[in-house]
Amino acid sequence: MSTYPDDLLYSRDHTWARVDDTVVTIGITDFAQENLGDIISVDLYTVDSAVKQGEPFGLIESSKATVELIAPVSGDIIAVNEDLFDDVGVLECDVYDAGWMIAVAIDRVDELDDLLDPDDYEEYVDQVQGRR
Amino acid sequence: METWRLLSFQRLSGAENMAVDEAIFRETATRGGEPTLRLYGWIRPTVTVGYSQDLEEDVNRAFCEERGIDIVRRPTGGKAVYHSTDLTYSLASSQHRFPFSADILGTYRVIGRCLIKGLGKAGISAELVEEGRAPGRCFEEAGCFAVPFRNELLVKGAKICGSAQVRGRDCFLQHGSVLIDFDPVISLQIMGKDGRDEEEAVRRLAGAVTCVSRETSVPVTAERLVPYLGSGFEELLNIRLLKGDLTGRERALAERLITEKYGNRRWNERGRL
Repeated sequence: MSTYPDDLLYSRDHTWARVDDTVVTIGITDFAQENLGDIISVDLYTVDSAVKQGEPFGLIESSKATVELIAPVSGDIIAVNEDLFDDVGVLECDVYDAGWMIAVAIDRVDELDDLLDPDDYEEYVDQVQGRR
Repeated sequence: METWRLLSFQRLSGAENMAVDEAIFRETATRGGEPTLRLYGWIRPTVTVGYSQDLEEDVNRAFCEERGIDIVRRPTGGKAVYHSTDLTYSLASSQHRFPFSADILGTYRVIGRCLIKGLGKAGISAELVEEGRAPGRCFEEAGCFAVPFRNELLVKGAKICGSAQVRGRDCFLQHGSVLIDFDPVISLQIMGKDGRDEEEAVRRLAGAVTCVSRETSVPVTAERLVPYLGSGFEELLNIRLLKGDLTGRERALAERLITEKYGNRRWNERGRL
C-alpha cells in the first residue's frame, strides 16, 4: 500500500490533485516539501488566472532554492489558499489538507489521465531518489 | 566526452546579468540542449537582492544611491549580495543531464566540488559546508555572505562563495559569486547598518567572510580566475567546455527581460511586475 493518500492523483512535478467533478484542488507532495527544506514564502497566481498543464502556477522559496510550482492540469483558478501567505509553516505539517494551494476549474478532463495513482507516484519517487 | 557551452567573460550591468541568466534558464527549459556555464563580472557596483527579500527592510537604498550602487532583484532567492570585483558564475541545465538530478542539495554539492577544484588550481583551498548553521537573528543576516549555509564554500571557516538556485520544470539555474575582494564596512552600510558605529559587527563579518585577494599572494582578478574555474568543471566532471554565444532567441529574451523585468523599478523594488 502506498504511503501517499489514496484519494489523490499525482504529477511527475510533485504536485497532488484532488478531483471533485470539474474542480481540481492542487498542492505539493510531502516528497516535494522534504526536498525543498525550510519553506520561506509562497507566491501563487491570483483567482481568475488561467493555468496550463506543465506550466507554472506560482513560486515557492525555501532555504535551498526558489522553485516554480507546475500545474498538473489546465483551467482557471477559482480559489487560492491565502492562509499560506501568512503561515507557510502549514506546508511542513499538513501538505495534503490545510496546505492546499489553488483550486482550478478544469478545461479538459482527459488531462487527468496524465496523472499518476499513489502506487505509481511512489514508484516514480523511488526512481527519482535512485538517480540522486 | 560530453560538451557544455561556455559563454565568454563579460562585465555587464546588474539588469543585463540577471536578464541573460534568466534567458538561458528559460531557453534551457523550453528547448533543452547542453548545459551552459557563464562566468561574468559587473560593470558597476551592484547589490542583488533575493526574489522575495524585503528591499526596504534589508538594504540602505539611500546609501546605494549616494554611492552609485545599482540594485537589482534576482530570479533566485536568498539574501542580498554586493557585487563589485567578484567573479560570478551561472549554470543552467536540464536536471536530467548527468550529473544533475531533481535533488536540490545534490546539485549544490556537484557545482560546489567543481568550484573547489577550480579554486584549488588558483592556490585556494576551499571546502564545502555540509551542514551550515541556521540563519540567526543577527542583523548582518540580510547579507548572503554573513550566513554560511549548507553546501556553500568556506576557506578556513570563512565564506568565499555563496550560491542560489531556481528550478523550473525539469531544469535549474544556479548562480553564485566568488569574492575577489571584501570590505565588511561597506557591506554593513549597504545592509543599512553604519559599519563605523558597529565595530563588533565589522569584526564578526570580517571573520566570517574571506576573499580571493586575502587567500592568494599574487593579485587575481575575476578574468584571471575564469580559466581556473572552467577547468575545475572540466576535470571533475570529465566534460569539455566549448566557447559559444547566446542564441538569437536567448538574446531577444534577455533584451525583453531587461525592459520588462530587471530594468523595471517595480520588479526591483517589490518583486512584482
